Amino acid sequence: METEAAPTRHSRVDRQAFTDAIPLLIPAVPFGFVLGLAMTKSEMPLWAAWLTSPLVFAGAAQLTMVTIAGTASLWAIISAVLVINSRHVMYSAALAPLFREQPRWFRWVGPVMLIDQVFALAMLRSDQEPDSFRRYYITTMVLFGTTWNVAVPLGMVIGPVIPEAWRLDFAPVIMFAGLALFAIKRVPAGVAALVGGSISLLAAGLSDRLGILVGAVCGVVAGAIAEQRITTLTTRQEVDQ
Amino acid sequence: MSNRAALLVLVAATLGTYAFRAGLILLLADRSLPVVVERALQNVGPAVLAALTVNLAVGGDGGTSVDIDAIELASLGIAAVVGLRTKNLVFMLLAGMAALLLLTEIF
Repeated sequence: METEAAPTRHSRVDRQAFTDAIPLLIPAVPFGFVLGLAMTKSEMPLWAAWLTSPLVFAGAAQLTMVTIAGTASLWAIISAVLVINSRHVMYSAALAPLFREQPRWFRWVGPVMLIDQVFALAMLRSDQEPDSFRRYYITTMVLFGTTWNVAVPLGMVIGPVIPEAWRLDFAPVIMFAGLALFAIKRVPAGVAALVGGSISLLAAGLSDRLGILVGAVCGVVAGAIAEQRITTLTTRQEVDQ
Repeated sequence: MSNRAALLVLVAATLGTYAFRAGLILLLADRSLPVVVERALQNVGPAVLAALTVNLAVGGDGGTSVDIDAIELASLGIAAVVGLRTKNLVFMLLAGMAALLLLTEIF
């Protein structure tokens, strides 16, 4: 009987990851296109701009890097990238409990491609066994890594031909709005998103896209306060009954 | 931008980003976080993603004023409604982009 179960158990590819990732992969293509187009207009040497895709692997940060290169100082560019990517510290913290049961090599390799989408998908499968979680995570890593590193060079080649009237620049906004919307499963998360978005709007004038970080921190604090309030209310109700 | 400057930016961005992504996974891997912290971290995703959406939508890269027009806002609203109804990111993206192009054409 054990041999019958073997094929699924030894399967290296997680089909669920494919199904879950496709809706997130498709919007990544126009984003990659836009980035590829921006690279061709950038002051940054083309080889370096292209290498940001496999090495830095972070759309918003890459887009900022190639856009402000030439007009900002080196340190301004580096700090802008680090501020934008500092949200990954929070992803790292959130995933740490799940990586606790993973082998050492995976703790080093897994974070290489810990982008917004991989994080969102990994959190969806946080209840899985360590082995299947790892398969799921690696499958999403490979899918996003491949798609991104095909879409960006394609954008570098095809991008200049696409009319601006198609407004591909707006696609990433809708993508992130969807990711935020689908990540809300409980009331405190809703509060976190609402406050995060509102503060980010108020802080939009801050340079180097610092508004993202300020909004996010305020959102997390607001979510924690909401969590506390709800727990207190529930406990009080239980005591009353 | 010179090749040397580009190389410096590339190396700093690569190492910095990896440190952010791997840091706490490697440091916290053998320890547990307090329940309150772990619960708070569940709100990190929604908070960051919402902040990112707004920042990208209004072009919040400093210096310039908030820059989103009524058509973009309406398209985003339509996309959100479709997203909530279908729970599908592709439909949401298509609806939002179609609304943006149509509304731009009409007005």
